[in-house]
Amino acid sequence: MKYQGLRLFALGCLMGSMTLFTACTKKKPADSATSESASKGGSKIFYHYRTSEEKSTDPHKQFDAASALLVRSLYDTLLQYHYLKRPYEMEPALLEKMPEKKEGSTYTFTLRKGVLFHDNACFPNGKGRELNADDVIYSIKRFADANINDRSYSLAQGRIVGLDDFREQSKKLAKAFDYDKIEVAGLKKVDTYTFTIQFVNDSPLNLYPLAASVMSIVPKEAVQKYGDDFDKNPVGTGPFAMKTYARRGTTILVKNPHYWETYPTAGEAADQAAGLLAAANKKLPLVDEVHLPLIEEPQPAMLKFKSGQIHWVAVNRDDFQAMIDRLDNKQFKLKPAFENQFNLYYAPSLSSTYLKFSFQDPVVGKNKALRQAIAAAIDYEGYINLMLNGRGYASQSVVPIEIAGAERDSGSTWYKTDVELAKKKLAEAGFPEGKGLPELTIEYRNTDKNTRQLFEYIRNDLAKVGIKVKGNFQTFSNFLQKTEKGNYQMADAGWNADYPDPENFYALLYGPNKAPLPNDGNFENARYDELYLKMKDMPNGPDRFKLITEMDAIIKEEVPYVLLYNQILAGLLQKDVQNFKRHMMDEYPYKYFDIAGK
Amino acid sequence: MVAFLVRRILQMIPIMLGVSLLIFLLFTTVGEDPVRLALGNHATPDAIANLRAKWGLDQPLYMQYLDFLKQIVTLDFGESFTTGDRLSEMFARGALVSLSLTVPPFVLGLIVNLAIAVLIAFYRGSWFDRYSTFLFVAAMSISYLVYIMFFQYVFAFKFGWFPINGYEFGWGAIPYLVLPWIIIAVVSAGPDIRLFRTVFLDETKADYVRTAFAKGCSPGRVMFKHIMKNAMIPILTYTVINIPTLILGAFLMERFFSIPGTGDILITAINNGDFPIIKGLTVLIAISFTVFNLITDILYAYVDPRVQLD
Repeated sequence: MKYQGLRLFALGCLMGSMTLFTACTKKKPADSATSESASKGGSKIFYHYRTSEEKSTDPHKQFDAASALLVRSLYDTLLQYHYLKRPYEMEPALLEKMPEKKEGSTYTFTLRKGVLFHDNACFPNGKGRELNADDVIYSIKRFADANINDRSYSLAQGRIVGLDDFREQSKKLAKAFDYDKIEVAGLKKVDTYTFTIQFVNDSPLNLYPLAASVMSIVPKEAVQKYGDDFDKNPVGTGPFAMKTYARRGTTILVKNPHYWETYPTAGEAADQAAGLLAAANKKLPLVDEVHLPLIEEPQPAMLKFKSGQIHWVAVNRDDFQAMIDRLDNKQFKLKPAFENQFNLYYAPSLSSTYLKFSFQDPVVGKNKALRQAIAAAIDYEGYINLMLNGRGYASQSVVPIEIAGAERDSGSTWYKTDVELAKKKLAEAGFPEGKGLPELTIEYRNTDKNTRQLFEYIRNDLAKVGIKVKGNFQTFSNFLQKTEKGNYQMADAGWNADYPDPENFYALLYGPNKAPLPNDGNFENARYDELYLKMKDMPNGPDRFKLITEMDAIIKEEVPYVLLYNQILAGLLQKDVQNFKRHMMDEYPYKYFDIAGK
Repeated sequence: MVAFLVRRILQMIPIMLGVSLLIFLLFTTVGEDPVRLALGNHATPDAIANLRAKWGLDQPLYMQYLDFLKQIVTLDFGESFTTGDRLSEMFARGALVSLSLTVPPFVLGLIVNLAIAVLIAFYRGSWFDRYSTFLFVAAMSISYLVYIMFFQYVFAFKFGWFPINGYEFGWGAIPYLVLPWIIIAVVSAGPDIRLFRTVFLDETKADYVRTAFAKGCSPGRVMFKHIMKNAMIPILTYTVINIPTLILGAFLMERFFSIPGTGDILITAINNGDFPIIKGLTVLIAISFTVFNLITDILYAYVDPRVQLD
């Protein structure tokens, strides 16, 4: 009894605080993507999320996927990639038709009439005005302004006559200088809707940068009115305008009622049956709002998806294992428990993953047979099955399979796992059963568990033929410093398409592109370089593919890379999401999405 | 007292100089190169030079360090490398959010944990003491991340008692914060109660406690009048020194629950090589620690008359 008062005090504190906790709790989530609440007040809302903060919504200041997610919805480019057709195909966006060759390397561009910028206070009476040729010339110059663009200019470097000079001059001038005072010889306005661009050479590659989000068209008035805060007040011609901007919270995009585009009327053969053409000719965008909270971790994203609060989620390795079954021939299906709740999608990425050799290294660089032995020793399908849950294609060429010029066009093949061949090549290299071969080092750009597991798989395969390797796991910038000087033996590497053309991948091994440019392994082959220069500016077709086949054969013989895989990306959708087709050049094309039953 | 304060404040100058030099050297010589992180693979030399100049990283190291010192004196750390946002605004917003996440469980947890520790101390050696010791040691052995993932899965997703994640400014934040508060309180219970119990047990063995009981004092009076006051010095040290960490938030919690506090700002900055944010936050935390250290010393004098500040 003597401690009763004290005990009551202690228990009282405990109970009081627990009561306060539970009293504050809330039974149901506020936002939900389920049919009922996805149409708040009769408007259709697409709920998705951002996995990282965007650097900027200013098109000319960004070059990261998180920023592109917003920029693609807020702004338009002159050209874009067709939503449904594969391999990826460019089509006019703000242009009325594809650019027409005028003479030499000069092309005429004609803008669509009646395209309006979003309504905004930067315009008279707050009403968005019509897009014109001056906006395009202003935007290209702003893209080249070194005071503005410190990330992405290399995409268009050396392409438009006079633009590199403009950039050099911009470095000597103050921020926000008057672009009209410096002419770019290759950019000429013809009339309100027409302009010409003179390219340095005549190549189909010249048009790709015009479809990149970093070359979106912005109005001068908005840039001048908002200055450094332009990224917080984006004004474009895009399918959505910014309703709420919260870099670390929920950003909300709202439909642009004056948007010019309609849903595509043609696609791939299977698109009709998949219902992807049901919305043909409908005015875009099809949803009224897109809600984009920042969710950086996969667990809360998946939990929100499973509880119906978001419409679309990417699937990580653990969730893939738990929710998805592998079928034959790179097909997948949801496990029965989830089949009736969600839809599954999967599609090959536009990236190629490989190990690269440095030709400066006296051991691997000078010994072709050793590189061939390594290529023959790895069990590629085993790697994909075990380490990627089967989500990948064993690469047959350096070009990902969704890009023209890949294996289906070139007929190329890569090494199949052949331990006997690997042993034979190792003996040929002067190291029978690995005797006398020093331990090789593979450089990695990460220190995480996943990277170490990937390395262990490779180490194990190579050990079977007598090749010993160790991994050097390091920070990304240390990795870059080391590899870009060619100062390595082998390195983990990959390339994600800047544009869907095989040239983007074959340039990686072009001799003059030596370190610090992408050929940092300093691979040199005169015939390869000759073929590259021939194919570079050719249109896709049998002639180009023939050259590509020969280049692939050189890569297979010389083994500058050990080609690993072309990854398959997978994700889940709520059952009511319509018109979804995974698009790798415009990863978040919200304008095409619809929600059923509204 | 005044002399003590002046002396301690003057002592803070070399401490801050040392901290600033350490942070600067750590991030300029050992850390990631922010320019390479921003530009990624195969950036052209022109792009690298342009961005290096824009961020002032082409200046000699001593000039960069002097700039850093100026920033510390003026408490103006400029703009984020990656987003261009003013750091003073980012920190103020982030600190408020972090405090809304960490202060309620800190205060409530302190009261509850003290109460439990008192109970355990009074029942020392009993089954209650033995089982609670086992329970708290077991709870302390589980990773913070496991608590977060488990509680989020069970209480937010399975039972639907709380929102899975999110944040709203103002009172609307409370529903989003309740589950993180509970997790913080649960995680801190083990170490806090174990420490407080030990402190109380040490005091209950003291001669003055026996004397107080001999004089006929009630247990409550002995506890609150005598033991509590004497146990306050280690508890104060432990409690006050933890206050600066409240400003820094709980980065795992902020990340999993999408709470836009300073912890998440710092982790994102480290991933992006955003040196101004890292510098600014580290210096602010260092200043907070030295200030709260000073406050702890002053509080000693109030709770224990034997402590002489001069």
